[in-house]
Amino acid sequence: MSTKSNLYLIALAVASLFFSSCKSEDPVPENDGELITDVTLTFQEIDASGNALGAPFDFTASDSEGIEIGSAPDVETVMLTKGKRYEMSVDVYNSVAGEDITEEIRAEGDEHQFYFLGSAFTSSPFLSYEYNDDGAELIGLKGIVTVQQSPGVNTANIQLLLRHALDKNYPGADNPNFQDYAKAGGETDLDITFPVVVE
Amino acid sequence: MGLQGVEVHGHRDAVQTTTAVSALYGENLMESRGENLGESLKRISGVSTFSTGNSISKPVIHGMHSNRIMIMNNGIRLEGQQWGAEHAPEIDPFLADEITVVKGAETVRYGPEAMGGVILVNPAPLPTKKISKTNLNLVGGTNGRMGNINLVHVGGSDKIKGLGYRIQGSAKRSGNVKSPGYFQENTGVSELNLSSSLGYSSSKLGVEAYYSLFHTELGILNDSHTGNLSDLQNIIVNGRPFADGEFSYDILNPKQRVTHHLAKLKSHYHISESWKLNFQYGFQLNHRQEFDKRRGNLNEKASLDLELYTNTVDLYVNHTHKNELSGTWGINFIQQANSNVPGTGVTPLIPNYDMVNTGLYAMEKYSKGPLEVEAGVRYDFRNVSTARYINQELRTADIAYQNFSAFLGGLYHISPDLTFNSNLGSAWRPPNVNELFSEGLHHGAAAVEIGNPDMVSEKSLKWINELQYDGKRTHLEFTAYLNPISDYIYLNPTGEVYTSLRGTFNIYEYLQANALFYGFDFAGSYEFTDKISGYLKGSIVQAKNTDDNNYFPFIPSNRMDWGISYDFSKATDSRTNKITLSNVLVAKQNREPDFDIAPPPSAYALFNISYNKEFNVGDDKLNLGLQVQNLFNTNYKDYMNRFRYFSYDMGRSVLLKINYEF
Repeated sequence: MSTKSNLYLIALAVASLFFSSCKSEDPVPENDGELITDVTLTFQEIDASGNALGAPFDFTASDSEGIEIGSAPDVETVMLTKGKRYEMSVDVYNSVAGEDITEEIRAEGDEHQFYFLGSAFTSSPFLSYEYNDDGAELIGLKGIVTVQQSPGVNTANIQLLLRHALDKNYPGADNPNFQDYAKAGGETDLDITFPVVVE
Repeated sequence: MGLQGVEVHGHRDAVQTTTAVSALYGENLMESRGENLGESLKRISGVSTFSTGNSISKPVIHGMHSNRIMIMNNGIRLEGQQWGAEHAPEIDPFLADEITVVKGAETVRYGPEAMGGVILVNPAPLPTKKISKTNLNLVGGTNGRMGNINLVHVGGSDKIKGLGYRIQGSAKRSGNVKSPGYFQENTGVSELNLSSSLGYSSSKLGVEAYYSLFHTELGILNDSHTGNLSDLQNIIVNGRPFADGEFSYDILNPKQRVTHHLAKLKSHYHISESWKLNFQYGFQLNHRQEFDKRRGNLNEKASLDLELYTNTVDLYVNHTHKNELSGTWGINFIQQANSNVPGTGVTPLIPNYDMVNTGLYAMEKYSKGPLEVEAGVRYDFRNVSTARYINQELRTADIAYQNFSAFLGGLYHISPDLTFNSNLGSAWRPPNVNELFSEGLHHGAAAVEIGNPDMVSEKSLKWINELQYDGKRTHLEFTAYLNPISDYIYLNPTGEVYTSLRGTFNIYEYLQANALFYGFDFAGSYEFTDKISGYLKGSIVQAKNTDDNNYFPFIPSNRMDWGISYDFSKATDSRTNKITLSNVLVAKQNREPDFDIAPPPSAYALFNISYNKEFNVGDDKLNLGLQVQNLFNTNYKDYMNRFRYFSYDMGRSVLLKINYEF
């Protein structure tokens, strides 16, 4: 009967489609591109007219696995000297994909901004910060940190926050120590607290 | 689509079962036009939604959703990425002429995972006679400035008797949704759907080919994309987005882009008067892309990019005999291949996997006089093999499951207008790949979620009873169910946080516990006079973790809904001309687990008003509907909306719905 042979043909067509979508692809390792594994703060002492004095030194926070269960990040203690001025630059790196994220942040300067919070800047401030980026945009990749001459305490912490997709025109958003940063919208890409000691 | 026709000719359930069934069709379906599947089904008591903002909503039946319920697109089980809380069903409600909800456990008939119920989205049967009919729907809504168009054309051949076809297409566009006082930024939707079928039927043979395409691109509320736990806490404290936003149709990152193709071929052949052979093949391809707010070029790349192929084959025989016995015996085969499309720059949330499931089943029904008794058994074998790289290291797994399920049900017509039915069904559900293998950050939830590869299948027993009264002026439906589940899988907050350079995150892990679900649904209507009628419906679900006497999260709170209608039409005129005022009351969820990142929102009451009028334009039929939803622009949050952490729900919307049949 023709219906039977039709059914047979249909079954054959079905079988051929079936085998074409039969197996999942072999998995491919992905390098997490959004990951930040190393954040380095480089301090260069400067004089009143902005000239470099001595050699720069740096402090790093790193977490080789990025956002993965397991190890907590390693964070070095920032050591600074009372009464001195430093040019501080921030470098952000992804060691998994081998990417310099600093460049990406600079390229998207209109969408990114660092805030400097923590007790060293807020509750018992002995540090002050001014944005000193190369362009007009306030990003915080480069800035001037001034240590008080005679602070009441000599240990505190620096909370380094990188906000992404914020409203930079929000009132107060141009303050590097803006504690209401959340109100300017956006989200946090980095949130690290460095212990800081001044001598 | 002949919606009114369905009303006039009465309505026959899309599935012959002794379990509790409710359907959305005719006038009610027409009123829901323009809404997504989840929202539409809220009209059925016992069904609510689990949503992510105002554009993603998943139907919940008796407290169960996602992989615990099944959605059938014209007879094929919809296989998308249903495991995700923010993954809406990939189906266009416009393709349906009727949407049926089976509230019992129908694993035997439909396969594993039909634990909490089944939703059947069915187009009207194809014409077998010469006919040419077109149906146009136009929907416009003020909130989100939404526009929706749907066109269906149905035709029957003159030359070849029994040959008929249907083509349907719909498009939807909406922009930022407005909550009272502000716009929810980046909440637009763009949808384009198609479906078509061609069928032939003679006295012996029936063949139908069907294809449907669902394509959506939708924005995810900007503020819901939080970077870490303190971001999340900041916005929870604020209770709404920080900015007032503005209206825009633009859909930016974060967003989802989903395409779902479904093709099926179905055939039946009457071997003899009492035996019928059925064959059905279904092919599905689901492509889901999720885009996050990222840096630079990464914004162009999806951070989740999944391709899921599914083949299903059903072969079964039906027999009906004069001696009141009828039944179905069959084999059901599902094969699935899921692949992560490389290049996302993100370790995949779920691994690549292959799954094969074979089920054998048999059901028999005996009916005599006012009594119907039904029983069935099924056995399933399933193999899943997975592979994924995590930190450059290949991880694979091979898992096998097998399970037996059965049901016993009965229906008794106590009197011509009073029916009682009862159904006891067992069901099982193997753990999903995300429940087994999740390991990583769930963006937006500021959560690190950890799966457990050693989990076993969930096993459930659902006993559902329904009493139905269909009087002259009164219609009543009362449903009660008891549903114990062993090894119920849930995401449990560990109370610990994980610290990274990005800040801290809550840690959640998938656990299994014994659960007891039970509850009631009721629905009733009464015609006070020829002009005035009223309705009342509601549902209560209880879901307890019986191991540690706690509650599970995201279970719907008590809700009810009532309304009064006034009919303007003359007694001699059957055309609709009716105004309805309705009121939805949703209680605060007091049955909350010990831990939630935000307390459950307060109870709320919403008022809606709708006016529907039917006209004749020559031989054609025109239906006009005007609706105001959230009449008083009430500020509210719903416990079942995951975005209650970030925003109030949608404010007032005025909708105009036009249906023209020619």
